[in-house]
Amino acid sequence: MNRVVVGISEVKVSGNGEDILITYALGSCIAVAVYDPIAQVGGLLHFMLPDSSLDVQKAKKTPAMFADTGIPLLFKACYKLGAEKKRMKVKIAGGAKILDDDNYFRIGQKNITALRKIFWRNNVLVDGEDTGKNYNRTVELHMSCGTVVMRNASGILKEL
Amino acid sequence: MINDKIMKSIENLPAFPATVQKVSGLLGNPDYLIHELVGVIEYDQAITANILRMCNSAYFGVRYKISTVREAVAYLGRENLVRVVSAAGISKYYNDVKGYYQEATKLWEHSVGVAIMSLILSKRIYNRADSSLFTIGLLHDVGKVVLGEFVLDSFQQIMDLVTNHEYSFLEAEEEVIGINHAEVGAKIALLWNFPQELRDAIAHHHRPDLMTEGDSSISWLIYLADQACMMMGIGGGTDGLAYRGLSEVIDRFKLRQRDFEECIVVLLKDLETAKELLAL
Repeated sequence: MNRVVVGISEVKVSGNGEDILITYALGSCIAVAVYDPIAQVGGLLHFMLPDSSLDVQKAKKTPAMFADTGIPLLFKACYKLGAEKKRMKVKIAGGAKILDDDNYFRIGQKNITALRKIFWRNNVLVDGEDTGKNYNRTVELHMSCGTVVMRNASGILKEL
Repeated sequence: MINDKIMKSIENLPAFPATVQKVSGLLGNPDYLIHELVGVIEYDQAITANILRMCNSAYFGVRYKISTVREAVAYLGRENLVRVVSAAGISKYYNDVKGYYQEATKLWEHSVGVAIMSLILSKRIYNRADSSLFTIGLLHDVGKVVLGEFVLDSFQQIMDLVTNHEYSFLEAEEEVIGINHAEVGAKIALLWNFPQELRDAIAHHHRPDLMTEGDSSISWLIYLADQACMMMGIGGGTDGLAYRGLSEVIDRFKLRQRDFEECIVVLLKDLETAKELLAL
């Protein structure tokens, strides 16, 4: 087993069954894990903010920072390795929020909304998710089988 | 009595490093003498080693390779020197924090994040950034160092209140243990003879709205910096984001969503350049 860490604002793809792509401590950030079981190709994105219009220069340099630049990058990088959109399983985790922050910096909710809009426009269905609430999450994508495991900070495991 | 046990743990903490206090004192005088500072710092081997490891961090923007305390004092400048010395002195308390974290070093990472973010926000809001903010940022969660073992003992009870009864983590600590980590932090700061302003900021970093006396602006800044780090998962712990959001912070600082997000982008960039600080 080969653990490949995906940092905040990073995307990594793989076609190696030995790899486990893993990303730690998602607060309001979101992890998107995609996997094509036929091509055995997949990828993991850890984006932090909804919209790249915030800082266009930054988005050019670090596209995985934002939902609207990171998500296309993730899919395209998988296509390059032979994945096909219609076969890809898509799982998401993260977007946690501070308690009762209804009219205040809602980064978690905004990240979730931005992601759903992009998926809606591109006909992408979500096959599994654990989003919202107020806990930190770690996400693993096992390249051997496409299993996505979410672990929260208290150590509770859940397969998405 | 659990409170006695907690008080005992507070008293058993190693004293606040005298070197940090002496250096801050010397730097308080605008005409500080370099040789005097060098003498005080070099006397403390542990802090000297930490300073030398840290001061070549790109975060401090020094272009020279620094290998002696004298060079550090000469090239870092007053503000950066305060930051380096406090970080070098404070990190040792965070080596082994229980309860809140799966990994022991996470609280340090979180504290550095809050320290850096409090400067970024202060620059954006007030157009200045006092280094005392950095020190308060490093210490805002110091109460967790002591309370951690008590949180660990009562973890299921606390998590039950947070998960099923809409308690914040802070409120659950109070309910189950009888005291929260912010109050414990303020008690530690009192034992260490910190100024009132700093103690208040630690005591109210989750609830600056409940501060009745004195100037609460530092508490609000630390509060917001802390929230930003929680949202970004910087040193994220078992308490997660289970703290109250106070929307009045927007009016207080006249911050738009966009400003806040821009500050977060800067925070992530600064943290990239501050790796040597995180690695202490």
